[in-house]
This record gives sequence, structure tokens and C-alpha cells, in this order.
Amino acid sequence: MSILVTVMLALGLVFFAGAAVGILRFPDFYSRLHPAGKMDTLGSFLMLAALAVQELRHFDLDHVLVAVKIMLIVLFYFIASPTATHAIVDAGLRAGQSAWTKPRGGRS
Amino acid sequence: MKLISLALVVLLGGLFMAATADFPDWGDPASPASLHVSPRYIEKSMEETSVPNIVTSVLADYRGYDTMFETAVVFTAGVACFLLLRRRDPRPGPKRIYRHQATGVIVEMREEPAKEPSGGVFVRIDDDWVPHDLIIMNVCRLLIPFIQLFGLYVIAHGHHSPGGGFQGGVILGASIILLALSWDLRTAMARLGETATGLMSAVGVFIYAGVGALCLALGSNFLDYRALGPLMFVDPVHARSLGIFFVELGVGLAVMATMVLIYKNLASEGLMDQGL
Repeated sequence: MSILVTVMLALGLVFFAGAAVGILRFPDFYSRLHPAGKMDTLGSFLMLAALAVQELRHFDLDHVLVAVKIMLIVLFYFIASPTATHAIVDAGLRAGQSAWTKPRGGRS
Repeated sequence: MKLISLALVVLLGGLFMAATADFPDWGDPASPASLHVSPRYIEKSMEETSVPNIVTSVLADYRGYDTMFETAVVFTAGVACFLLLRRRDPRPGPKRIYRHQATGVIVEMREEPAKEPSGGVFVRIDDDWVPHDLIIMNVCRLLIPFIQLFGLYVIAHGHHSPGGGFQGGVILGASIILLALSWDLRTAMARLGETATGLMSAVGVFIYAGVGALCLALGSNFLDYRALGPLMFVDPVHARSLGIFFVELGVGLAVMATMVLIYKNLASEGLMDQGL
């Protein structure tokens, strides 16, 4: 059980770190939103699910309730976060932000 | 002039910095604030008010006047925004665009005074037309009830966990603003109109002051909720807890309505017909 929790926490951290690096390193607005939208969601899913599993170690009503609440947070996060990213992309397109393309003949 | 103001800012900033050096350390148990009042609240608030959350008991019971006038300040801000921004007269010759729902034909109207195309087959479109996104609209429609439920929970659960009228009211107001952002202002206006917001923010303050006055009428001090005990068939200690709950309801109502009122006035430039 605790191995599972540790692995999930560590994986979540890996995804969060990847998201942070991605936001810093990607060249433009749209590609930066890609790690921000996807990896953050997955990272927080892993970490919160790890907390829920940790909570389930003591299997009684109180702890199960807390675990269910954590999973509800995950559910809402999964609905809200990609939608927010979608809304930002939408706003960017409407404002006329152009997407990055590789410069011809040069290195990026 | 710039130099003088810069010098003034630097001087005042320096004075502030010098003054903060005289403050007691952060969380110092020997500081004056931690000596007299705080231990009394921490030790006695549970048995005196039966509110497990000390912050709420201090906010709404021991310092009830303070919170009442804070609510009044929120209400005043809403009224001030309304008086400053709201315009009754439409701009000269405003262009109103309608779309015929069945055929998709776009109609432009300029006549004075504003007359709506009849029959309910036309939909108004905003000037700075926002093509509403299906995903955003539907996800917001899905989420807003849960956000509002959470806001009510925060108001009602302020006794036991972090929360209370101000926070819950802000969440409720934000849910209405989210509706206005993801759909349009007129949809939000149809759910919570202008009269309703104005009335609700006044009613919120009235509930707060009214609970206080009720205590006065029952032969106790203003906002001394103990007096409400016989009215609700509970002992005085529980009456305090319940009194706080009613007061929080008033606060939540006032904060929500004021937030929505201010947003609508700002977003529609005081015309309340279209906007962000």
C-alpha cells in the first residue's frame, strides 16, 4: 500500500516537474498551454489519488468519506482544468495570436 | 512635481519601514495582542457560543458590530457603483443586432426607443460578438450548480470549518459571474436580475440588523443572540450559535448580490443590456 502511494506521489511530482519545464521551454503561447493543461491535470490526479489511497488504509466510514471527497476534487479538476485551457486557447485564437512555426532555414 | 512626489513616497515608505521595526515579532506570545483578549477567546468561545470555529465566533458574536458595518460597507460599495455607473439613457442610436433563430438571418435595428422584435424567434447578439463556445458553455452549465452548492455549504458550515458569509457569498457571486462570462450577460440577468440584486443586497444588511434588533426587542442587548433562545426553543448558548448562522446568511446574501451588481454595472458600461 505505502509503496503504491509513494510511487504515485513520485510520478505526480515527475509530471509536475515536466509541466514546469514545458511551460518554461516551449516556444509559444499555444504549445505552453499544452503542458499546463495536460500534465498538471495528470500530476494532480496522481497526487490526489495517492492521498485517497493513503486515506483508505484505515477502512472505516470517516476515512472512506474523506477519500471519496478527494476523488470528487479530482473529478471536478478533470472537468474544469482542460476546459479552462480550452477557453484560454479560444481567447488566444480570437485575439489573433498566431501559432509558432519553425523558422525556415534556421534553428529554433 | 514628479521629484517631489517621488521624494514624498520614499520618505513615507521609509517612515513606514521604520515604524514596522517597533512592532512585536510575528506570533510573539508576549505581544500585547496575544496577552489579554486572544486567550479569553480561545478558552471561552466554545462554552459561551458553542461555535467550534473561533474565528467565526469572534467575527459574528464578540465583534458583531464590526461585521455588521462591514456588511454595510459592502452594501454601500454596491450602491455607489450603481449610482456612478448605471445609465438609463441608451447611447445615441445604439445598434442592436438580432438573429432569426430558424433561418439564421441577421437583423440590425436602430430605432428609438428600443423595441424588441416580437414573437421570441429572434435572439439578440452582442455588438462585440462573442461566438459562444459549446464546450465552455456546457461545462460551465454542468459546474455552476455544484459551485453554488459549495457556496451554500461554505455559508452554512462556517461554524465548523473555514468559511462563513463573506467567503460563501463570494463563491455564489462568482458562480453568477461565471454564467455571465460563459454564456452572456443577458442570460445571467434573466437568472438574477437587476432589481433582485439590489433588493438582495439590501435585504442581507436588513437581516443582519434585524436579528440584532430582534434581540433588542426581546429584552437583551443589540446583537446579543442569547435572547433568541426562547424563540427557537434552544438554550441560550445554542441560540448564540444559531444567531450567528442567521447573521451569516444575511452577510452571504449581501456579498453575493453586491458582487453581481458591481460586475454587471462594470461589464455593461452601466447599460445592463450586453457585455462581457
